Amino acid sequence: MFKFFAAFRKEWLILIRDPAGLIVLFLMPTVMVVVLSMMQEFGWSTVSKEPHIPVIFVNEDRDSLGVKFQHGLTETKLFDLILDLNGVPVTKETARQQVLEGSYQIAVVIPEHTTERLRKKIRFLVSQTMANLMMPDQQFQSANQPKDSIEVLIYFDPAVRNYFRNAFLSATKEFNARIESRMIFETFQEELRKLFPNFTMPITEYTQSVFFTEIFPSGVKEELLPSTTQHNVPSWAIFAMFFIVIPLTSSILKEREEGSLIRLMTIPVSYMTVFMAKVGVYLLVCFVQFMLMLLAGIYLLPLFNMPALEVGTHYFAIVTLVIMSSLAALGYGILIGTVSKTHQQAAAFGAVSIVILAAMGGLWVPVYLMGNVMRHIATFSPLNWAHAGFLDLFLRGSTFLDIIPELLKLFAFFAVTISAAAIYRTIKPPISS
Amino acid sequence: MEGESIIAIRDLTKYYKGSDIPAIDHISLEIFRNEIFGLLGPNGAGKTTTISILSGLFPPTGGEVTIDGLDIRHDHDRIKYIIGVVPQELALYPTLTGLENLQFFGNMYGLKGKELAKRIDESLGRFGLEKYARKKIAHYSGGMKRRINLIAGLLHKPKVLFLDEPTVGIDVQSRNVILEFLHELQETGTTIIYTSHYMEEAEKLCTRVAIIDTGKIIAIGNPKKLVEENPEFKNLETMFLQLTGKGLRD
Repeated sequence: MFKFFAAFRKEWLILIRDPAGLIVLFLMPTVMVVVLSMMQEFGWSTVSKEPHIPVIFVNEDRDSLGVKFQHGLTETKLFDLILDLNGVPVTKETARQQVLEGSYQIAVVIPEHTTERLRKKIRFLVSQTMANLMMPDQQFQSANQPKDSIEVLIYFDPAVRNYFRNAFLSATKEFNARIESRMIFETFQEELRKLFPNFTMPITEYTQSVFFTEIFPSGVKEELLPSTTQHNVPSWAIFAMFFIVIPLTSSILKEREEGSLIRLMTIPVSYMTVFMAKVGVYLLVCFVQFMLMLLAGIYLLPLFNMPALEVGTHYFAIVTLVIMSSLAALGYGILIGTVSKTHQQAAAFGAVSIVILAAMGGLWVPVYLMGNVMRHIATFSPLNWAHAGFLDLFLRGSTFLDIIPELLKLFAFFAVTISAAAIYRTIKPPISS
Repeated sequence: MEGESIIAIRDLTKYYKGSDIPAIDHISLEIFRNEIFGLLGPNGAGKTTTISILSGLFPPTGGEVTIDGLDIRHDHDRIKYIIGVVPQELALYPTLTGLENLQFFGNMYGLKGKELAKRIDESLGRFGLEKYARKKIAHYSGGMKRRINLIAGLLHKPKVLFLDEPTVGIDVQSRNVILEFLHELQETGTTIIYTSHYMEEAEKLCTRVAIIDTGKIIAIGNPKKLVEENPEFKNLETMFLQLTGKGLRD
């Protein structure tokens, strides 16, 4: 233990002798978390909150359908309807041109007489239904059945994100359904009044009869709303934390290049002691790094009009998860630093492999959106285990006991990687043999 | 000078991976307690390979080596306590001070507290480095680095000290201090095995030398006697050149 503390002191002194490096080590991950969380927040808010997607709206119909469509889309607060450009009302052709040029991503054109055509179609359907009701034995074939289809034109920029497109399409389909149902009610009322002049039917705006209640399966009453911050901060913080691999491998390779490793090999001290001292010092770095990133999520992001990170109250579980995630990152770094022959090798492999493990582990694209094979592969990424643990704690109200499987996996990964590094170092000395 | 053997080498052979030319080719020799034994040879002769095997940096391909009765293959951990190694590279941490480096390496040998502080003070004083103890190694001159590199391998008072070209690239004063110190060390009972390119230095310092070339010992004995027994050579250097050739080695 005495040798461990001596080696720990040495590592600590080397680390603090490079204040510029230390600032980079703490500042860059925090900046990364803030910037990337902001970018994702703005990207996500464009479809989720009150994003006001600009949509060119051309109402050539000028009747109830066009007007109601316009009102409906405005009321959703999802879209900013553009009715004129530089004071000139937009036409079908300019709308198409604007989308073609990429100035706007979506344009909707309600053609002339759309309401009239819809009315005709509904009237035909209602009168046919009424006739069938009155005289069920007779088959009515009307020659007046409207043949032409009713078409609302929607122009999409090919570069538009799918989720924008889907959001717009589902909104327009919903309004159309409301408008159509109201017209059907009105037409029915007109037809029935022909038979029963005093008949009145309470036509109100379409009201929802089925309500969708969002319930969190954990059953905790005061759940945290899954804001983008809750998703993004842990993801980017884990990603940044694993980048400790770069300075750690550099420290190992420097020791080799400077020759002190050769002296250490002739001294009665085990590789494990030397490695564990590095782990001890860099664990502190990772811990401070992670706490700074969480603090940035709590205090800094709200300054940019973003929701603050809510970390809940399971502090012991959070601290344990941070430690275990850090150990996994450090074990990986020690292994890469031991196996690599040059700084370039270690930096390139370290950085790229972390990006791959992060992508694989669902840090950027949720695992549930992946295909079956990728979903299976994701379970092998230590970044996935750490991420799953933080999502459990920050979003699902889980406790320490719930995240034990993740903690064990992360610790096992650390144990395997650091042991592999020690074995490799014993079998393959760092000088040519 | 013959006495009690402290290092016994039998048929030592080393082939590096991928090479079919031996770096050390069936070397056998004995080094006695209290000797300053010089391993001399041109570049690539096998000096550093021999010292690396003796200090446990990597295993030999064949042969047997014992140090103070301990087998280097099986008793490697115990041997580490009785040997000191001063590598050719400056095996120190440049961002730490001289004192911090010595404290760290002393601690690694299990030394601590007052005993370690006393040894560090004495060594720094002996090598004229006490004023620079709190300066970072990166700011030391070449000679100062060599001196503190030597101290780091001596703090635990090893029975056997391996020195791989300890005076290469330093000023005359620093070299003189180091050589004087090695003599003093010999007098206190330490066995020193040392490699060098400096024939004059080896002639003055060593009790015995072995001239190695292409992994084989081509001459061994007391340097003065070797020259006396071969009157055609003026000194050890001319003998060395005659034996190893004047062709350039890389």
